[in-house]
Amino acid sequence: MKKTLLLITNLVYLFPLYILAQASCETAQVVAVGQHSVGLLNGTVPTPVCASNGAVPTTNNPAGLWYQFTATQNGTLTVSTNLPQNSGKDTRVHIYNGACGNLTCVAGNDDIGGSNFLSEVAFSVTNGGSYYIAFDNRWGTTNASNFVFTIGYGTSTPPTSRVTFTAQSNSDLTGTYRNCIVDMNNDFLDDLVTISNGNLKVLFQTPTGFNTVIYQTATTNFLPTWSVAAGDIDKNGFNDLVYGGGQGVAFVRASSDGSAYTLSSTSQYVFSQRSNFVDINNDGHMDAFVCHDVAPNVFYINDGNGNLTFNQGGLGDVSNGGNYGSIWFDYNNDGKVDLFIAKCKGNGDINGSLNQLFRNDGNGIYTNVSVAANLSDPIQTWSAAVGDFDNDGDMDILVGASSFTQGGHKLMRNNGDGTFTDVTAGSGFHNNSTTSIEFVTYDFDNDGFLDVLGGGNKIMYGNGDLTFTAESTNINNGPIGDINNDGFLDVQIGGTIYRSNGNNNKWCKVTLRGIQSNGNGIGARVELHGPWGVQIRDVQSGVGFRHMNSLNVHFGIGTHTTIQKVVVKWPSGIIDEILNPAINQTHHVNEGSTLNTPTIANTQKLVIFPNPTSQNLFVEETEYTNYQVVDMLGRTCLSGKLTSQGILVANLPNGQYILVLQNEFYQTKSAPFIKN
Amino acid sequence: MKKTTTYLALLLFAFTFYSCSSDSTEILEDITPVKLSPDNTPWTKLSDYQFFKGDIKNLEPAFGVLPYKPASELFTDYALKKRFVWMPKGSNATYDGDGNILNFPDKTILIKNFYYNNVLPDNKTKILETRLLIKINGNWIFAEYIWNDEQTDAFLNMDGGNINLSWVQNGATKSTYYRFPNSIECRVCHINQNKNLPIGPKPQNLNYNFSYSDGSKNQLQKWIDYGYLESIPSNINSVVDYKDTSKPIDLRFRSYLDINCAHCHQDGGDCSYRALRFEFNQTSNPANMGICQDPEEEIPAHTKIILPGRIDRSVLYYRISTDEQNLMMPKIGRFIVHEEALQLTEQYIQYLSNCN
Repeated sequence: MKKTLLLITNLVYLFPLYILAQASCETAQVVAVGQHSVGLLNGTVPTPVCASNGAVPTTNNPAGLWYQFTATQNGTLTVSTNLPQNSGKDTRVHIYNGACGNLTCVAGNDDIGGSNFLSEVAFSVTNGGSYYIAFDNRWGTTNASNFVFTIGYGTSTPPTSRVTFTAQSNSDLTGTYRNCIVDMNNDFLDDLVTISNGNLKVLFQTPTGFNTVIYQTATTNFLPTWSVAAGDIDKNGFNDLVYGGGQGVAFVRASSDGSAYTLSSTSQYVFSQRSNFVDINNDGHMDAFVCHDVAPNVFYINDGNGNLTFNQGGLGDVSNGGNYGSIWFDYNNDGKVDLFIAKCKGNGDINGSLNQLFRNDGNGIYTNVSVAANLSDPIQTWSAAVGDFDNDGDMDILVGASSFTQGGHKLMRNNGDGTFTDVTAGSGFHNNSTTSIEFVTYDFDNDGFLDVLGGGNKIMYGNGDLTFTAESTNINNGPIGDINNDGFLDVQIGGTIYRSNGNNNKWCKVTLRGIQSNGNGIGARVELHGPWGVQIRDVQSGVGFRHMNSLNVHFGIGTHTTIQKVVVKWPSGIIDEILNPAINQTHHVNEGSTLNTPTIANTQKLVIFPNPTSQNLFVEETEYTNYQVVDMLGRTCLSGKLTSQGILVANLPNGQYILVLQNEFYQTKSAPFIKN
Repeated sequence: MKKTTTYLALLLFAFTFYSCSSDSTEILEDITPVKLSPDNTPWTKLSDYQFFKGDIKNLEPAFGVLPYKPASELFTDYALKKRFVWMPKGSNATYDGDGNILNFPDKTILIKNFYYNNVLPDNKTKILETRLLIKINGNWIFAEYIWNDEQTDAFLNMDGGNINLSWVQNGATKSTYYRFPNSIECRVCHINQNKNLPIGPKPQNLNYNFSYSDGSKNQLQKWIDYGYLESIPSNINSVVDYKDTSKPIDLRFRSYLDINCAHCHQDGGDCSYRALRFEFNQTSNPANMGICQDPEEEIPAHTKIILPGRIDRSVLYYRISTDEQNLMMPKIGRFIVHEEALQLTEQYIQYLSNCN
């Protein structure tokens, strides 16, 4: 250490200062518009990382060089190494503002694209603003030394991206599997979950950043190597996880107060692919489903006491498997969640690659309707993106090709009669040459039309009419959520967060607490009515292929400033409505809690009295005799069997509750009441 | 040593009879003790087949059980292997192309024993499993036998399983969560056009010398001499041993890919939907190996399957370098990284000139 200091001192003495000036942020060399030469890259490695592809590997002996630029005008500044004399080099550049030691990413770039490994980045500057420009040796010191870069003001305006993302690495985002964004502490804010063998690391979202907590778990041989999904198995308000491993499945459950997590490995062999949480038999208890690559699919039925029973058979039974991307949604608008399986197999068993659609006929009965629906297609696909791309009130399907050997991407319009029609021609997917294992749909630019993210560093922006316009972006597939609660969706890739810079479009989010239905309201249909007509979402755990994305429902509404209503159609049949909800806000709905609207689809009336009550609650009912009293956080406060004595509610804190009755067929009725 | 002598004596005995018989296979029938179960289903114990004489753990082949070894071997967490073939009386295999599995007669049994030396804590040799492929009525069936700790026999088990295993190799301790395949996993590698198929015994893999107890001999010639193979063409396009540094780097790498990757990445294989074709007779075309080809499944920053000179930008190198199940290749059959293969891959990628 001393020797190094001595050496540096000597060098400073011997050479003009600017030669060393690039060595760190503090000593960054001041540069102006023009061309600059970079010598040996041997200074401090820049952090945080503002470009793709993560930290510099330690085997590269991480290093960097630093420059400082002060803008002399407002406009767009471009920093580029994309010059002929740099041919064969492989650079990466980061742009910061703020103070050394507390830098914030402004922009960054690793590769121009394709096999051009040089870098170019354009960003907005304000007159007088100070910016740091730093290069690193992500691709080796030789490849990142002795090159030239240019700085110049843009003469033309930058491409008008609908929405841009700024990358910034987060040093807490370590862990083996960084594939999960979901709320973990019951505040309905998206958290970042990284998983290692033996622990969970959660970066809890707070208004001022992240609060990182590590939870120890047992180790397992079934890590989420292939996929992860989140849902509330035991209805305690805290999400649990399913790990889809290459040889089996494990579950991780939150304790009743969310302060600890318990991992349990299952015993059956499963070559997991996509995993999901969903209430398969609609009994109000969360089940889990896991695609099997090489055998019939498996699922785990929840008995209501948190016991998950292994099942295999009935939901995709091809002996050679080929099950890659399961996605649960209501294709025929009958209120019951159906199952589409994106399939892939190359071993000569055509059934292995024929996609399947299973219609939910209720009570856990599913019927294979793939052929009738026109979805039995041999495309080699690992996932499908499902959404109402034309906002006509039913779910369309983009079957994303992972290989073009048995057909390309296929966009299937829902005809509203249980069938689908191929509308790929001219849609933008007909000539999309990017194959991907992961296709998901969200409204990234909040314009009110669903977009598709399916690899290739591009967003297929939906035009609302089943056509899409491709635009390059720095994001790619990773877990998706709103990690700063600004109403625009963000993406995490490895240790880097790609934060959306948003735009002027308006938005609305809906969060759910199921009571009669499963705790997350998975399978619920959420409708957003307004001047645009209606937008719909189905609440899903496990979309695309690998990642877990936010369970919160997100809508963009473009430039509209009013919303007529939010409608939540729960799996239980209960329908909640919020009239005239505010824009640019998150609206939380506890199942059955909205007033002045029918709380149950069941036409039978539920008579309870007195209401409000301070002592006992009496119910006129002979068939629905199992009761639960649930508070507004979805917690079960009381449960039991009805007697002529009524239900003693005297010990409950004053407030609003929901009485839920259930019959022997798991059908439910409910009514709100007030304890005073 | 004594055992070898006995074996030689037995061979001599057989050939003595041969000299005064007009039907050589009759002699085999007289001598070989190997038997299939009456209904052609796998025996419950490995010993029931009578493949081995004396103490079973010595894997000393009985008469009619012929050892063989492909020039390049599949990597499975550094397990060592002893392979044998047995065919019934009066039948032999026929040639069906350099790169195709020999056309074996019904009731052929391919026997593959998996073992490690210096297994901890006792530092002993331990046989873990014996995998059989048995051809019944034109179809290959799988039979997996897991050895007991006493090494006195192995027992039929098609359900798969794992054990923690540590052993000393070149002075270093290595560990893995050793996997016994279940019947489904057997199929992933051995399936082609929806039918089960062996992988190793192809003319291209057997066309080199093996040290038999009576001396070294080309294996194909040995099979012919033994009555197990009818005839072969004089020129066979053959793989090399990828560990043999005296051989050209491209042949070594292509040989490695053939035996480790081609069973899935070929027409009709489990992963035929990807463009890669890793069979030895396909990789003379650089595109089939992914050289300068775009990957269909993105791995960030890895822009080509193989980008000459850039291991850090090559998907293929990354997949061999990782032990993450969803990213590694091969995707089954290993838990740990095959360091020597990684070095070979690096050498190969550095050896290639650019894409233009």
